[in-house]
Amino acid sequence: MKEPENGEIERAGYDIGKTAHRADAYAKVTGREKYAADYYDGEFLWAGVKRAGVPHAALTGIHAEDARALPGVIAVLTHHDIPGENRIGIIRKNQPVLADTRIRHSGEAVALVLAENRETLKDALNRITLDYEALPGVFSVEEALKETSPRIHEDNPEGNVVKAVAVETGDSAKAFNECDAVVEGVFEVPAQEHAYLETESGWAYQGEDGTYVIVASTQTPFRDCFEIAPVLGIDPAGIRVIAPYLGGAFGGKDGITVQCLLALAVLHSRGRPVKMWWDREESFLAGVKRLSAKMHYRLGAKNDGEFHALECRLYYDGGAYSPLGGEIMTLGAEHAGCAYRIPNVSIKGWCVYTNNPVGGPFRGFGVPQVTAAMEQMVDMAAQRLGIDPLAIRLKNAVRKGDRNCLGVTLTNSTGAVECLEKMSSHPLWKGRAAWKEEAGPFKVRGVGVACMAHAMGYPPMVADEARAKIELTVEGKIRVYAGVVDMGQGNASTYAQIAGYVLGQDASAMELVLPDTARTLPSGSSSASRTTYTYGNALIEAARSLEKAIIKAACERVPGSVAEGFLFLPGKVRHTPTGRELLLEELAAFMDDSARVTTGYFKMPVVREKLDAIYMGPHLIFSYGAHLVYVEVDELTGQVDVARYLAVTDAGRVINPQVFAQQIEGAVAQGMGYALTEDFKVRKGRIVTRDLSTYIIPTSMDIPAIDSVPVEIDEETGPFGLKGAGEIGMSGPLPAIANAVSDACGTRVFRAPMTGEAVYGALIRKKEEGTVL
Amino acid sequence: MTTVYRPGSLDEFWDMREKYGEALVFAGGTDLFVKLRALNKYPPVLIGLAGVKELQSIEELSGAVFIGAHATHTRLLSHPRIREHFPVLASALRSLGSPPIRNMGTIGGNICTASPAGDVLPPLYVLGAQVELRKKDGSRRVPIREFILGPGTTALTDGELLSGVWLKKEDSFTIHHFEKVGQRKALAIAVASLAALVTTTETGIVEKARFAWGSVGPTVVTSQDAEDALVGLPLGLKALQSIVPIVERSVSPIDDVRASAAYRKALAGNLVVRLAGRGREPLRA
Amino acid sequence: MKIGFTLNGKNTFIDVDAARRVIDVLREDLEMTGTKEGCGTGECGACTILVNSESRLACLMVAAQLEGAEVTTIEGIERDGRLHPLQKAFVEHGAIQCGFCTPGMVMASIDLLSRNPEPTQAEIREGISGNLCRCTGYQKIVEAVAAAAAAKEKDGLP
Ligand SMILES: Cc1cc2nc3c(=O)[nH]c(=O)nc-3n(C[C@H](O)[C@H](O)[C@H](O)COP(=O)(O)OP(=O)(O)OC[C@H]3O[C@@H](n4cnc5c(N)ncnc54)[C@H](O)[C@@H]3O)c2cc1C
Ligand code: FES
Ligand code: FES
Repeated sequence: MKEPENGEIERAGYDIGKTAHRADAYAKVTGREKYAADYYDGEFLWAGVKRAGVPHAALTGIHAEDARALPGVIAVLTHHDIPGENRIGIIRKNQPVLADTRIRHSGEAVALVLAENRETLKDALNRITLDYEALPGVFSVEEALKETSPRIHEDNPEGNVVKAVAVETGDSAKAFNECDAVVEGVFEVPAQEHAYLETESGWAYQGEDGTYVIVASTQTPFRDCFEIAPVLGIDPAGIRVIAPYLGGAFGGKDGITVQCLLALAVLHSRGRPVKMWWDREESFLAGVKRLSAKMHYRLGAKNDGEFHALECRLYYDGGAYSPLGGEIMTLGAEHAGCAYRIPNVSIKGWCVYTNNPVGGPFRGFGVPQVTAAMEQMVDMAAQRLGIDPLAIRLKNAVRKGDRNCLGVTLTNSTGAVECLEKMSSHPLWKGRAAWKEEAGPFKVRGVGVACMAHAMGYPPMVADEARAKIELTVEGKIRVYAGVVDMGQGNASTYAQIAGYVLGQDASAMELVLPDTARTLPSGSSSASRTTYTYGNALIEAARSLEKAIIKAACERVPGSVAEGFLFLPGKVRHTPTGRELLLEELAAFMDDSARVTTGYFKMPVVREKLDAIYMGPHLIFSYGAHLVYVEVDELTGQVDVARYLAVTDAGRVINPQVFAQQIEGAVAQGMGYALTEDFKVRKGRIVTRDLSTYIIPTSMDIPAIDSVPVEIDEETGPFGLKGAGEIGMSGPLPAIANAVSDACGTRVFRAPMTGEAVYGALIRKKEEGTVL
Repeated sequence: MTTVYRPGSLDEFWDMREKYGEALVFAGGTDLFVKLRALNKYPPVLIGLAGVKELQSIEELSGAVFIGAHATHTRLLSHPRIREHFPVLASALRSLGSPPIRNMGTIGGNICTASPAGDVLPPLYVLGAQVELRKKDGSRRVPIREFILGPGTTALTDGELLSGVWLKKEDSFTIHHFEKVGQRKALAIAVASLAALVTTTETGIVEKARFAWGSVGPTVVTSQDAEDALVGLPLGLKALQSIVPIVERSVSPIDDVRASAAYRKALAGNLVVRLAGRGREPLRA
Repeated sequence: MKIGFTLNGKNTFIDVDAARRVIDVLREDLEMTGTKEGCGTGECGACTILVNSESRLACLMVAAQLEGAEVTTIEGIERDGRLHPLQKAFVEHGAIQCGFCTPGMVMASIDLLSRNPEPTQAEIREGISGNLCRCTGYQKIVEAVAAAAAAKEKDGLP
C-alpha cells in the first residue's frame, strides 16, 4: 500500500521518516510500566512447576503426598487434573502440559504446585519425587536418524524426523561438472538461548463472568487462546489473554510457556489470582532454544566468479518437541543460498527429535544457521578464485526480476546489490587495509563481510493478515488497538506514529491499547519481521476510514463545507476557508459510537508461481543486508576482539530512524554473541550452561560501536514503503566475523561460537599442519 | 526463619560468634548469597561484617600496608596507596566482576572463598601477602599461600575471622603485570590469569621475577623454577618462550564448562610470553 | 525483624524475615516493581539500586542490611515530577527497547556519573558492564549516558 495520496489534507504532528520518541519510553524509564512479572495484587498464590530432571524416561509414578501435606500448599496438580486434552503444539500436537507416561527432556513439566508464598512453593517442589524407568536417550541428529535409535515420539510415522524438505532447481549434479572451482565445507552452529531479561511470567484469575484471564509475557495472545482452551476443555471464547509490554522475547515467547499452567492453576486457586514467574535457571531449562545445526555445503563457480551450482544438506536438532522446528528448518532451507542467483540447486533439510531441550523460534528463525554456512562458502570460493569477497557478492547478488535459488522471481524491492554498493563506498571498507596494518604485538587483524536476505511474513500456506482497530474516544483522543504484541521492538509506538501521521496528530493525542484478546482484533504473532508491515498496512486503512468519518462529522457541523476544506491539527480539525476549528472531542460527541471506531484489514501478498517449490510455499518479499566487521585476534589466547561493525540494511523505507537503528544494533549484538561466546551446552540431555554465569552473552564492553546505515528502497506494498527490519541484522555477524577471523588467522573455524579456545586451537592446528585454507 | 546480626565491633562479633556456633559470616554477600540460593538452604543465623569497624581500615604502617578484610574492591581501586604501590593488585581488581560486584564484594570475601579463579589471589601471592587471622583471644599472621589450602578451603579454624591483609610495599619491581583471560570482557570468571612482578636492569636483564597463575590448578599456582630460569636473561620473546615448558609442567588445570585443561595449560605459558610486549616500561595501573 | 530505613527520601518501616531478599521486599512487600529481577545471582544488574548513593544488587542483599540505610530506586530519582537527566537522555536517545534492563541501567549510570562526571565512551561501557541488556547492543545506552554527562556539564547541575 502506498502512502495515502490525499495530498489535499495537510498534516502536522507525527512525521514519517523522522524519529519520534517511543510511546513506552517514559513509563519504562520511570519504572512505572507494569510487565507480566510485576503483578502482586491481592491475595494471590504462587504457582510453580516440578520438572523432570532426566532427559528420557517412562514416568511410572508421582509422589506428591509430602508436598500436599505442607502447610501453605493449596494444591499439587498432575496430568490427572487436566480436564481437557493434555497435548499442545502449533503444528504437531504432541507436547503434554504435564507429563503423563513419558519424559522427553530434562525440563519436562511433571507437576504443578500452588502455594501461599515462594518459600513454601520451593519447599513443596523439592518434596515431590518421581518414579521412572530411564530410557536410552537420543542426543544428536546423527543418532536421531539411525534406524536403530530409540523413537522419541512412538506415534510419529517418520521415526525421529520432524520434517524433511527438498528443493531441486536446475540440474545440480550436472552443473557441478561444469564448474571451474568447487568448494566444500561442514559447518556447525550451536543452540542459542534467548536470554531475555524478563524470564517467562504471568498472572491469571477467573473474571466475574467466568472467563479465565491470563496476563502473560507472550508474543501470541490470540493463538494462545486456542492452545489453552482445549487443555481446560472449554471454548476458546472462555479464555482472555492479555499481553502487556514484554521484557524481551525474540521468538522465545512465541507460543505457550506459562499460559496453560496458569489456567490450570486458576481452576484450583479457590478464587484467588495466581502468579507464575520462572527463575533464570528454569527459563534456561524449560524455555525453547535456537536449533543447533550441522550443515554440509558444496558451492561451484565459474572462473569469473559466477555461482553455478549449490548443494546443501541441513540437519537441525529440534529437541524433544518441535512447536515450529520443521518450519524453522524449512525457512533455513529456503534461505540456504542466501541472497544469490544460483541456477542449479539441491537443498535437502531435516529437522529431528532428540532428548535435548525443545527447539523453537529465535530471531531469524532458521536463517542465521544457513547464512553462517553459505556466507563462509562464498568467501572460500572467492579465495579459491582469487576474487575480492565483495566483488564476488556483487556479481552474484539477486536483483529485482531475478529468480532466487528456489526459482521464484523477485518481483518486489530487492536491495542486496544496493547494500553491497553502499558498503563499498563506506570509509570502513576503504580504510580496511590501513587498519589491518596497525596490529600491536601478538595481535593479528582481519576484515570480513557477509550479505544476507530474510523473508518477511508467514509462508503462503498461512495467511499473514492483520485487523487494525482505531477509535476516536469521547475525550477526543485517537486510540489505536494494537493487535500485535510489542515485545520490546517498539512496534506499538510505530503504530501510534502511523495513525498519528495519517490523522495529523501528535503524541499527546494518541493512546495505545496493547494486545488483549477481548479488546483488540486478531492480527497474528509478533514475529517473522511482519509486525509493522502487516499491521501497519491494516492500520493505515483503519486510520483513513476514521479520517473520513471525522471529516464527515465535521462537514455536518460546518454548513456548506466540503471534505477537501478540512485540515487535521493536533486535537482538532480546521475548516480552512472559514478558519473555524472543531475540537476532536467536540466532534466525537456528535458521532455515533459505531462511527468513532473503524477497522482495517491487510493480507500480505504471496507468490503465485512455484507454490510447490518448498513445504508451505516460498516467500515473495525479502529484506537484505550487508555487514562489515573489523576483528583483532590475540595469538596468545585466540580471543577475538570485534573492533568496528557496519550494518547496511534494505528494509524498505524507514518510518522511525531511531526505532530502526534499535532493531539493527540489537540484532547485531545478538549475532555477535552467537558468533563468539554463546553456546548452549547440553551433555547427555542435561544442561551444562545453566545460568547467566556460564551461558555467556555480551556485555557493554564486548560490543563495539555499530554503524547502521539504511538503504531506503521503496517497497511498494509496504506501509509507507517499509519492509521488516527485526531479523535481518541477526544473520550477518557470525559469518562476517568468521570471515574476518579467517582473514586474520589464515585458517577457518568451522564450528561456532568462535571462542578464544576454538580460535586458539585453529591457530595451533595451522601451525602444526602448515595448512592454509 | 533466619536471624541476621550486624555487629559494630569485633567485641560484639565475638559475643555473637560464641552464642551462635552455627552462624555463617558474610561480608559483601556476593559469594555467600549466590551459594545459599543454589542450595536453597539458609542458616538460622547470619552475621554481617559491614559494621565491624576494625575491618574497614586501609592504612600504611612502617613500610607495609594493612587492608581491612571488609575493604570493598571499589574502595581499594580508588585508594591512592593501592594504586601507587600495588598496581598488580589494582589491575586485577579492575577486572573483577562488574561495578556493582566491586561495590559490594570485599577482599576478605574473595580470599575466604578460596576459589582458584579468585582474582585477588594471584596478585597477593606475588606480593607475598600475609593474612591476619583473629580469634577472641589472639591473632596470627599467615602467608597467603599457607592460608589457602584447596578449592574452597582455608586454614581458618573454628571461631576465627580474617581481619585483614598485610602487604609489604614492593616498589623495587619495575613491571607489575596482570592479565585475565575470561570468556568476555566484563563479568568474566578467569579461565586463566597471571600476576607477574619483574625487575630488570637498565639493559633489560631480568633481576627478579615472581609469577602466580589463577584457574590453572586447585589453588593459585606459583613456580620458583620458572622464576629462577628467567633471572639473568634479557626480558624478551626468546627468554620467555624458553620458560614456557617449565610453566606448563607446574600447572595442573582441569576441564570445566568454561574451558578445557589443555587450553588452560597453553594459556599459562602464553600469558608469560605476553611480557615480551611489555619491554622495559614499568607498567602502572 | 523490624527494620527502618529511608526509601526514596521517605522513612520506611518494615517487619519481615531478616534474610528476605531486598528485591522481594521492594517488589512484593512494598509494591515498588520498578526494580527488576533478571537472574537472582548478581549476573544481570536488573535489580541495581542505590544504597547510600552507591550501586548495589538488590538480589544479593538481605533485608537486615537495609537498617539505617538510604535507599534509592528508579521510582525515587525524579525531582518535582521531572525526569532525572539520565532518564531524559535514555528516552531521547532511544536507549530503551523492552525496558526490562532500563531501571538497573539508569541506577548504574547514576553511580558512574557520581564518581566520574565526564566519562569517556570506554569508561561508560565499563560503568554499565554489570548490567546486561539483550535488546539494544548497548550503543544507544552509551550515547544516552554520554549525553546526560554533557548536559549536566552544561547546566552546571550537581
Ligand atoms: C556476578 C558475579 C561476578 C563475580 N565475578 C568475580 C570475578 O570476576 N572474580 C572474582 O574473583 N570473583 C568474582 N565473583 C565472586 C565474588 O564477588 C568475590 O569473590 C568477592 O570478593 C567476594 O566477597 P564478598 O565480600 O562478597 O564475600 P561474601 O560472599 O560475603 O563471603 C564469601 C565467603 O567468605 C567468608 N568470609 C567473608 N569475609 C570473611 C572474613 N572476614 N573472615 C572469615 N570469613 C569471611 C564468608 O563466610 C563466605 O563463606 C563474582 C560474583 C558474582 C555474583
Ligand atoms: S537480578 Fe540481581 S543481578 Fe540479576
Ligand atoms: S532494553 Fe531489553 S534488555 Fe535492555
